[in-house]
Amino acid sequence: MSSRFRVSCIAIGVAALALTACDREERHNRAKPLGETVPAGESPDTIYPGSGVPPPLDARAAMYDNNAPAIAQGQWLYTQMNCVGCHSHGGGGMGPPLMDDEWRYGGRIDQIAATIAEGRPNGMPAWRGKLTQDQIWQLAAYVRSLSGQPSKDAVSSRPDEMSGPEPETLTAREPQKQSDAAEQ
Amino acid sequence: MRHGRRQLGLISAVIVPASIPVSAQSTLAQPHAISAASAAPQDNGNWEMPGKNYASTRFSAMRQITPANVRKLGLAFTFSTATTHGYEAPPLVVGGTMYLITPFPNYLYALDLTKRGAPTKWVFKPKPVAASQGVACCDVVNRGAVYDKGRIFFNTLDGQTFAVDAGSGKMIWRTRLGNIQKGETITMAPLVAAGKVLVGNAGGEMGVRGWIAALDEGSGKIAWKAFNTGPDRDVLIGPRFKPPYPSDRGRDLGVKTWPPEAWKIGGATVWGWISYDPKLGLIYYGTSNPGPWNPDQRPGDNKWSTGVFARDVNTGQAVWYYQSSPHDLFDHDDINEIILADIPWGNSRRPVMLRPARNGYFYVQDRRTGQVLSATPYGYINSSRGVDLRSGRLIPVAEKEPKQGRVTRNICPAAPGAKDWNPAAFSPATGLVYIPHLNLCMDEGALEANYIAGTPYVGADVKMYAGPGGNRGVFTAWDPVRRRKVFEIKEDLPLWSPALATAGGVVFYGTMDGWFKAIDATNGRLLWRFKTGSGIIGQPISYRGPDGRQYIAVVAGVGGWAGAIVSGKLDPRDPTAALGFVNAVKDLPKKTTAGGMLYVFALPR
Amino acid sequence: MTAARRAAAIATTLLLGACQSYQSTFSDAAVEVHNFNILFVIFLAVCAAMYVLVIAFLIAGIVRRRRAGDALVMETGRHHESHPLMRTGLIAWGTLVTVGLIALALASFVGDRSMASAAAHERLSITITANQWWWDVQYNSSDVSKTLRTANELHLPVGVPVRIILHSNDVVHSFWVPSLAGKQDLIPGRENDITIVPTKIGIYRGQCAEYCGTQHAHMALVVDVDSQADFLKWWQHQLQPAPPPRTPLALAGYNYVTNRECAMCHNIAGTPASARVGPDLTHFASRRTIAAGTLPMGKGNLYGWVEDPQSVKPGTKMPTIGLQPNDLHAVVAYLETLK
Repeated sequence: MSSRFRVSCIAIGVAALALTACDREERHNRAKPLGETVPAGESPDTIYPGSGVPPPLDARAAMYDNNAPAIAQGQWLYTQMNCVGCHSHGGGGMGPPLMDDEWRYGGRIDQIAATIAEGRPNGMPAWRGKLTQDQIWQLAAYVRSLSGQPSKDAVSSRPDEMSGPEPETLTAREPQKQSDAAEQ
Repeated sequence: MRHGRRQLGLISAVIVPASIPVSAQSTLAQPHAISAASAAPQDNGNWEMPGKNYASTRFSAMRQITPANVRKLGLAFTFSTATTHGYEAPPLVVGGTMYLITPFPNYLYALDLTKRGAPTKWVFKPKPVAASQGVACCDVVNRGAVYDKGRIFFNTLDGQTFAVDAGSGKMIWRTRLGNIQKGETITMAPLVAAGKVLVGNAGGEMGVRGWIAALDEGSGKIAWKAFNTGPDRDVLIGPRFKPPYPSDRGRDLGVKTWPPEAWKIGGATVWGWISYDPKLGLIYYGTSNPGPWNPDQRPGDNKWSTGVFARDVNTGQAVWYYQSSPHDLFDHDDINEIILADIPWGNSRRPVMLRPARNGYFYVQDRRTGQVLSATPYGYINSSRGVDLRSGRLIPVAEKEPKQGRVTRNICPAAPGAKDWNPAAFSPATGLVYIPHLNLCMDEGALEANYIAGTPYVGADVKMYAGPGGNRGVFTAWDPVRRRKVFEIKEDLPLWSPALATAGGVVFYGTMDGWFKAIDATNGRLLWRFKTGSGIIGQPISYRGPDGRQYIAVVAGVGGWAGAIVSGKLDPRDPTAALGFVNAVKDLPKKTTAGGMLYVFALPR
Repeated sequence: MTAARRAAAIATTLLLGACQSYQSTFSDAAVEVHNFNILFVIFLAVCAAMYVLVIAFLIAGIVRRRRAGDALVMETGRHHESHPLMRTGLIAWGTLVTVGLIALALASFVGDRSMASAAAHERLSITITANQWWWDVQYNSSDVSKTLRTANELHLPVGVPVRIILHSNDVVHSFWVPSLAGKQDLIPGRENDITIVPTKIGIYRGQCAEYCGTQHAHMALVVDVDSQADFLKWWQHQLQPAPPPRTPLALAGYNYVTNRECAMCHNIAGTPASARVGPDLTHFASRRTIAAGTLPMGKGNLYGWVEDPQSVKPGTKMPTIGLQPNDLHAVVAYLETLK
């Protein structure tokens, strides 16, 4: 192998490696806003009458779930939109904790986005029409990071406020079970 | 309590002309405080209002249970309320029936005490809106119902007041007063005085504008409503208003002491206790913290928050006001119980109010004028240096002021104060105030709070922990005339339950891990205790049963702000959860579980 | 065009461009920048003189280089005939340097002290909180009910020392109005301050001078220096709540703004919208620019901004909602009433 050929191979390899990080850092400043509604997320139960085959996951899950800018923006919104006032930094308060493995209404990103948009009967406010879908999905991505779900290279490594729980880069991933509706 | 002793010196020096060492100069038969006669009538064996009487003594004149025989106290019967949130209310007992009001969903039970086992007579279900649970800051509690003239009056979480016939359980009227869309709820126990049902709102953490309303007892229509912020015409401040101190005098101070428009979302709610003096015709109540907690967003004194109002019960017109914490920095609401007493003053008695307040000072004020006679620390305080009795103002410590963007550490007392809502009891027999309270300090980081109606408006990250000594709770017997502790019992967990005092010389209170305790009223010796199924944060009562025996009743059901980690199943890994309380009680879930069980005790026949 | 001509043209353009005075460090509009400029000239003069001398001697040394033999003579140091000149030269040079340094130190000291004394008794206090990527401006007052909160525009009374307290809500920014004063950073968790005494009425432009994220370049500040009477009149006007909408279209806009996304972030005094995340809009239409100097205020720009802020200022915190045309007309109509 000639040395120039070797150098080109290495260069191509390095470039390919560098490009793999692109998805995680991709920003969508003008995520499609018009005419979208989050489908009322499937119930947390996992019975699908008839064929028993679960519907396909919303395409946006891939866009937001492990996306670093989305999680960062979600962190900012979490404080500004007062989520922190009811859910604290994941421990809960007026609202249930978000950092554990118990999800009343489902812990998948599209289920969390549906909860934020629709509201829930025991006091979760409905944010549809007050936040854009982009913002709601960013919040959902951040909420998932509170229980350690996204990959550790996408989450924030430090909180913006006084130290609460440990930073999300150290948070162990809570098990995602078939969510049963926890009792009220 | 080094600070306390130093403070005592300062206060004594200032008020020596007015204070009298009782034993030297009084010629009264009882040289100690007694209940205000007009507001604490003869005990009829019932428990008809949460404070027992208008003076809020929480004192039962029954004397069958004494220190000698209390160890024989045993269970008479129990009852499950079918709720598992914090139970803060007292059972009411009138005419052989016991009434229980539960936390959300606010069921009202009537139990027949004349029959063995106290079977249920009826249940009234007001069906409050479930979404109101999302705007209740500190668990979905209810602090009690009240009985008057054959009716039971109570409030629901979603902001309604109900009048229910005490015999049949049928609804007579209901009035909607609060709007959950603005973050308003109602958790307080109403008071019925002079034919009016007095109700106040909750939501100081939600950017709510605080008010107190009087509903006509017969019809439920609003007789008057007074806001606690805003222009004088909304606050019902008029020619009768004569505050004792200069900083409360002026026009429209409820607007002028706030940045523009901030008073509209400024808090000053009425979620605590109201007392009433029938002779003076005045109701007394305190207002909550101003909103938001972050003080940098609301420069100014923030009237009329964290203070005490005296109003005319018939018209609502304000007669006087005293602000315990101007420009409150620490969420030191002033809604604690106001005990009306008459203390020795020269050769006669002076009508006063006794208030163990959130900011750590035990206030003794003349209830005719509001003048502060003494303000003595009853807990450890490093966030203020005392109360200047000439100007009436609290003297803050500048280093402990929370500033936006910074964390201020070791602030004592913490946000729930040296004592939160859970009321003390006053025994006219011993002249002592029995105070179940807290020993907590906190770190607070202030942030900019964003106002969105119906969501929290706080702007603070808080972490609480035990104060000096390591015990998180303390039970104090306080002499309001001599202004000092008589005895003190340290408790591991914070004390969130009210106290009950009895003429038999026994005082009762409960701990957050479920121990219901009886202590000697003179020296605090533990006489008896019983382990209930859940932490106790509810008011114990004493009543005369249909068989003439003295009964002690309490509902055990942990929750409230202190117990939210259990009742809300919060995660202890986040120390800022429940506005910082979770950090102080991380061990509580191991020590107790949620519940809602009534326990009634009596001596064996 | 020859290379030399081209260079001359470029130089002239640059020099002339530096003379515009609304964002120029060479302006004379405040005590601080005036002092800076005097200092600058002194430093320039002293340093230029030294520079010229050094270069002159260097050139002289190169041109008048000695022959190889003389170098040996120098090293043995026994020939003194050539040295008196060297000695006087060195003494002169040393004196020149010392005098120059003393001049610089004195100038710096005097300049700094005069700025400090001019700023000593501030009569107005303003708190600026920097956010990504806008300026939250609050005018403080001993009467708290007269405090004023606005955004992205600073109004100052001429001749009055103004102390500007600097906070940041997120990352490090820097406050820089070149025509008035130097830079001062806004650091989260810390309180900085800068005192300005404006001396000339006029409109100036400032901008963020510390990279603070994607839209650092679009974080400008318009500074309006008025006479004291005009300033007080402006303050009084800004304290008024927003007027209620008068036309059906404005009413529809009001309903949208107070019930939908806008109220989550913005405050309009006199309406239910009381949020603080974004700039205060109570008198939005009275400002000269939109989005911290990104666009000049105007109907067309308003439409563009409200409909799609992400195209104008990508990455900004204000989301692209995608308003329906009717809502857009209504919202812009209402915003235009907020004078």
